[in-house]
Amino acid sequence: MKAHAERIEKNTVLLEVEVDADQFARAVDRAYRKLVKKVNIPGFRPGRAPRFILERHIGKQALLEEAVEMLVPEAYYQAVKDTGIEPVAQPQLELVQVEEGKPVIFKARVVVKPEVELGQYTGIEVTRPRVEVTPEDVERELKKLQERYARLISLDEGAVQKGDYVTIDYEGKVDGEPFEGGQGTDFTIEVGAAGLLPGIEDQLVGMAVGETKEVTTRFPDDYPRPELAGKEAVFTVTVKAIKRKELAPLDDEFAKDVSEFDTLEELKADIENKLKQAAEAKAKAEIRQAVLKQVTDNARVDIPEEMIAGRLEEMVQGFERRLMLQGLTLEGYLQYNDLTLEQLKERLRPDAEETLKSMLVLDAIAKAEGIAATEEEIEAEIKRMADDMRQDPAVVRKAVESQGQLESVTKLVTREKVLQFLVERAKIVDQEVSS
Amino acid sequence: MKDPRDIILRPVITEKSMALMEENKYTFIVDPRANKTEIKKAVEALFKVKVEKVNTMRVKGKTKRVRNIVGKEPDYKKAIVKLKKGDRIELFEGV
Repeated sequence: MKAHAERIEKNTVLLEVEVDADQFARAVDRAYRKLVKKVNIPGFRPGRAPRFILERHIGKQALLEEAVEMLVPEAYYQAVKDTGIEPVAQPQLELVQVEEGKPVIFKARVVVKPEVELGQYTGIEVTRPRVEVTPEDVERELKKLQERYARLISLDEGAVQKGDYVTIDYEGKVDGEPFEGGQGTDFTIEVGAAGLLPGIEDQLVGMAVGETKEVTTRFPDDYPRPELAGKEAVFTVTVKAIKRKELAPLDDEFAKDVSEFDTLEELKADIENKLKQAAEAKAKAEIRQAVLKQVTDNARVDIPEEMIAGRLEEMVQGFERRLMLQGLTLEGYLQYNDLTLEQLKERLRPDAEETLKSMLVLDAIAKAEGIAATEEEIEAEIKRMADDMRQDPAVVRKAVESQGQLESVTKLVTREKVLQFLVERAKIVDQEVSS
Repeated sequence: MKDPRDIILRPVITEKSMALMEENKYTFIVDPRANKTEIKKAVEALFKVKVEKVNTMRVKGKTKRVRNIVGKEPDYKKAIVKLKKGDRIELFEGV
């Protein structure tokens, strides 16, 4: 096989591939063996007809076409390997010569990975956000804990206050008529959590157990049900029970209840520690983002349209999967937001370009600096993926390999390594203490 | 003599007939009125080969039935012609 690559446009390469005649003959043979099993020829059981009978039956051209269909992709991948080009999209193929006994010649127009003009990428200056945990932050966390572990005490008398949980029966009427979904019994709400129509909760305040009252409210103008939007509604509400949150006092007892610590001090220290860790992780992530952004901005890349289109397709698919987890469809989402697929893609486009550029830049730096993922690092990444999926690493590895994903895992690891390399070489300035 | 093409009607191309070709035996559908001698001469004239032996058989057409109406495919005569060693017929132009 001979392959010759020629750059015809900035990011487009014309590959000319010539496949030897005998390699073609082997492909024809394979095509015959494949087709003969499928084609029904009278007088022969499937798979039993000799080649010349088959040729007579389906035509020689059909056989050759099948052979080419099998041969060309293989030859194309081989040619890509031999010439060392890096395609980013499906090639446009053109057959030049297909004749039995002669070499097969075809041309492939293929968009390749664009050249990256790297800018400055070491010594990038970034600011490290200040990591600071104040006593107030700790207090706030404690409060949250307190709320979460609060006990609900039933009140037999007394009036509803904000923050109470009340159980109510209600019947709503619009224009004196009951409407669908307007009735309910033993419905528990938190007063003040804005779970109901505006105004209702406020009017509950002050009611006692057993009391019945009529409250009026208006449906908001943008209420999802148009027959109700903007209408005045009267609800007859009966309070059946009031429950009040009782917060446990913040003391060692509380610490014991909610954590493995024995004293409040220890709990506080632990909270502070955790907050600090979270803040540091966040700062680290921000630094990485900032470094990556700057390095990307410093570089120049002409991203081929085909790459962007491919990336957008991936993004839309990912988006669709996420919607599906919520039980939505992409069509439904588009309709609800009054968007076309094209408009959605247009919105995602800047993001797609940025991501692609970052990836290309990282790849280029990996090449320039000779950074590559080692077998152990790939192994570790696969193990991490396996842990995520709760699967055996060996199984995951096999799956990854069989789907031809090993390369993308390698790329992922390499990019991660490059990013670390960049962060290590960046000039990180601590943020000034603001008063 | 009749035109050999009126005696040898068409070759039989099936898995079975292909297998027989291994033994240098070629199978044809022939005119039911033809006898072995006529078939032998016709094959020799048509393909320029030497015939060693001819076996013939009358094949009954299958009965085909569409709902209650019974029909029958035509009967035909089949001849298996054994050629002299070394002779071959280049099958089968104009099947």
